[in-house]
Amino acid sequence: MISREKVGTAYRDRAASRSEAMGKGARIPIKRVRRRRPKPIHVQFRTIVSPHQLNSPWGRRIYWLVLAAVIVLFTLAFVFPFYWMITGALKTPEEIAEMPPSLVPADPSPAAFFEAWDLFDIGTLLANTAYYAFGAWLFSMVVDVAAAYALSKLRPMFGNVILGAMLATLMIPPMVILIPLYVTIVDLGLLNNPWGLWFPAAANGFNIFLLKRFFDSIPRELVEAAQIDGAGPFRVLWSVVLPVSRPILGVVSIFTIVASFKDFVLPLLVMTDSEKMTISVGLSQTAGAVTQNQVMGGLVIAGIPMIIVFFIFQRHIMAGLTAGSIKG
Amino acid sequence: MRRSTGLLLVSVIGVSATACGSSEAPSSSAPNSVTITVACQPAKSAPKERQAWDADVAEFMKAHPGVTVKSTDQQPCFDPKTFGPKLAGGQMETVFVVPVTNYNDVIAQGQALDVTPYTSTIKNWNDLRPDVRELVTKDGKVYGVPNVHYSVGLVYNRALFTKAGLDPDTPPKTWAEVREAAKKITALGPGFVGYGEYSGGNTGGWHFTQAIYGRGGAILTPDNKKAAFNSPEGKAVLQNLHDMRWTDNSMGSKLLVGWESLMMAMGSGKVGMMLGAPDVVTDVVNKFKGNVADYGITGFPEAKASLSGGEAYMINPKATPEQAKAGMAWIDFRFNTVGKGRFDFARGKAIGNPVGVPDNDVYGDSATGKALQAERVKNASLPVTNYEPYVQAAVTVPPKAEPVHAQELYAILDVVMSGVLSRKDASIDELLADAETKANTMLAAKG
Amino acid sequence: MRRNLTAYGFLCAALFCFTVFAWYPMVREFILSFQKTDLINPPTWVGLDNFKAAVQDPAFGEAWLNTVEFTVLALLCGYAVPFVVALVLNELRHARAYLRFVVYLPVMLPPIVAVLLFQWFYDPGPGLFNQILGFFHLPPLAWLDSSSTALISLVLVSTWMNMGSATLIYLAALQNIPPELYEAAELDGAGILKRVRHVTIPQTRLILLLMLMLQIVATMQVFIEPYMLTGGGPENATVSVAYLMYQFAFSQMNYGQAGALGMLLMLALLLFAAIQLRATREDRA
Repeated sequence: MISREKVGTAYRDRAASRSEAMGKGARIPIKRVRRRRPKPIHVQFRTIVSPHQLNSPWGRRIYWLVLAAVIVLFTLAFVFPFYWMITGALKTPEEIAEMPPSLVPADPSPAAFFEAWDLFDIGTLLANTAYYAFGAWLFSMVVDVAAAYALSKLRPMFGNVILGAMLATLMIPPMVILIPLYVTIVDLGLLNNPWGLWFPAAANGFNIFLLKRFFDSIPRELVEAAQIDGAGPFRVLWSVVLPVSRPILGVVSIFTIVASFKDFVLPLLVMTDSEKMTISVGLSQTAGAVTQNQVMGGLVIAGIPMIIVFFIFQRHIMAGLTAGSIKG
Repeated sequence: MRRSTGLLLVSVIGVSATACGSSEAPSSSAPNSVTITVACQPAKSAPKERQAWDADVAEFMKAHPGVTVKSTDQQPCFDPKTFGPKLAGGQMETVFVVPVTNYNDVIAQGQALDVTPYTSTIKNWNDLRPDVRELVTKDGKVYGVPNVHYSVGLVYNRALFTKAGLDPDTPPKTWAEVREAAKKITALGPGFVGYGEYSGGNTGGWHFTQAIYGRGGAILTPDNKKAAFNSPEGKAVLQNLHDMRWTDNSMGSKLLVGWESLMMAMGSGKVGMMLGAPDVVTDVVNKFKGNVADYGITGFPEAKASLSGGEAYMINPKATPEQAKAGMAWIDFRFNTVGKGRFDFARGKAIGNPVGVPDNDVYGDSATGKALQAERVKNASLPVTNYEPYVQAAVTVPPKAEPVHAQELYAILDVVMSGVLSRKDASIDELLADAETKANTMLAAKG
Repeated sequence: MRRNLTAYGFLCAALFCFTVFAWYPMVREFILSFQKTDLINPPTWVGLDNFKAAVQDPAFGEAWLNTVEFTVLALLCGYAVPFVVALVLNELRHARAYLRFVVYLPVMLPPIVAVLLFQWFYDPGPGLFNQILGFFHLPPLAWLDSSSTALISLVLVSTWMNMGSATLIYLAALQNIPPELYEAAELDGAGILKRVRHVTIPQTRLILLLMLMLQIVATMQVFIEPYMLTGGGPENATVSVAYLMYQFAFSQMNYGQAGALGMLLMLALLLFAAIQLRATREDRA
């Protein structure tokens, strides 16, 4: 028996060293080199099941069985809905309502995509959403990087108080202050104005927290050397801090953009003009008035941009999740 | 007082936020030029309607040099969610629409302009039904131009009636006949629904109100202090729905939440009957792609009274006199001129509108009303006889207004409707008693 | 001094954003909850009326019960399931990239897409789920259309579109467990379940606790699912506190009452956070 004490201690040490490694920043541990060899089942890191157990005859059988089951299950649960959505869009309104449904569209036609494009006015909606997401990204990067830099490297009076107050906002979920935030936006006359989304997006305590912690890990000597060379604070930020902070900038960027693209409630309230709506809000408003295959067409088109982002930035996103996991 | 804080914040933002769009153009730029924004442009999903609207805007601007009209196409064009904020945030259109349910609130809260000085702009003002004009009048001041008025009947799909072996020219007159017809339509096959009804999103409560009024019941006591729907009439409404849903199985198995859901189903041509005013026919055809010849409307079965509905155009209280005048001119041109705008029935026929549907009784049987009816009949795109049963019934059935605190009451009654339509073992007495308690608490709280 | 000036120069934009759009709304919520306002006419002070009206609302009790029930169900589905999934994934040596990719795919979708997709799946007639049940000769379910299944149906959508991130976070935590611990446990003769209990869970405890809190805070705010799928029905079975708050504000135009409910929700969450913090602290001590 292992005593819980022992494990607990080992764990704490480990956790400490891990968060230190995180703090050191520059290398967020995601990159693991994986090699695959068919048989025997190769194990490059130890998990619950020991390599020995795994490679015993029964272990192997069970392993392959579990693997197959998991793959099938995951495909059904997470890929099949996408298949159903896409094929639904390729069906006619009559075929999509058929019982039992056809697994493959009898006469696939992309008409629903074009109809959905027109009916939902998806071109405008996507352009709006992209514009808001881009603006939110640009603005919050400028604001949050500047703030994190000030808090980390310039260390003003009451810096910790400010940081604390910013982090405290993470305890208050956005839905709770939705009404007063909305009323504030109304008071400021920012309805149907992108700034009504961009200002709140920049007030992101988590971004500042991640950035600040990363900046903290940049060696003081690096900054001091630049200062001796006569660099002002802006120059230090631009030429010293930012270049070494690329990984965290990437993570924060992607999460800001994705969050902005996915946001629903605030744009629902702030961007009410049909010319200014986001894709999510536009879909929600019109979905009730078009046929099911057109709805599916709209959903597919609306889903594509973020799926592409995921394809391209998969590694960064996964890294970001790990960074997020040690939040708090 | 919080307002001042807001203003302070505005000045702090300074330059960055001054870009915020105000829909009202500065009227001082040129003495004779004025810009107004008008709500209710048809959505892009109804391209022909939208084109007709745009043509009207162009024609109006040509006839009124110096007036620029900008349209907004928010759907639905009165959205309680954005109404207050839009007004507060300076985003409200110069000309906007308000449904009859909200007249009292909007007028009482000073959210509409007193248009008494401008009513003469509406050339047929005196032909508008006096009882309908009365609804937008408070303390002798007029706050809007009634735009639509109707009472509820039974909308039915004539094609399905024929298909099910029923005679579309003798639609059901009693609830027993409705049940029989619903059964036959459901028997057409899977996916067919004999009778459609709402159960959520405040539409369930709304239709419950229609149904209980039709049976001679009431939602509130005459003094508006207590709930009155826990009555034999209320029970009859629910019992009938329960039997149709669970005994006859003629209402489909899907709960319909929100206005579009049943309209969409009706438009798909698989729903036999529903409660509705003639505007349902218009909307089903224009917005939900129903086939215009398929829909008919008849009087409410065994009607004792009918929930009246409608809407009025109102003017932004922040509008300048020039804007108000231009706005009223627009309302006059587009909505109150025989042969023009929405009453251009020849064009309506050309673009496939269900012309002939008696969907608006706002002019009653005044001279204008008669002229409109003549135009409508002349250009009817379908047999006007499809609607004759409704027209005849509408004359004899007295209209009845919506209850006060309608939205709150409808939310409470949604629960009753969804209960009956989602649970076979639902106890109608219990549901009604619960709702009655809730409604009384709500009414007491609201004073 | 100079350094302070420069620093505040860099900070000012963030300070502005936080002041106006994060800190002030919290204060504003407090103020709002004691006022009657329609955003057009000047607000009036009404004392505790908003709180009274909110508590007396016919759906108030149900909304809290539903929210708690949703949270508990979502914890069962959205908290335990991803952990088990992550445990299994961590044991697999093949197709890992595929599985990780696939489980995270729904997270990338705008929630509205997932919600509308499932709305169609839940259709009692040609909807996918009932068709699958029919294929196996099982009776159809009412899904969103019955007060007994509506809430769990919402949990299902919510889990589908959110479980990816939790799974990947757990997976990362699992990969940080030092292999020596398992080896030591194995030498001590611990079987697989014991290894999970005595190594894996203690080793990921911090993450598990953290995710528990995040998950509860997230599910307490559930809005888009009832807003799009059920309108709070049938029979108020899916009215959540957030949805009711939205109704107060935007259906009844009663911003003060909505603010009061928001205050109550905020208090509930703070109370919960305090309990959580205490538990974590005791745990560490």
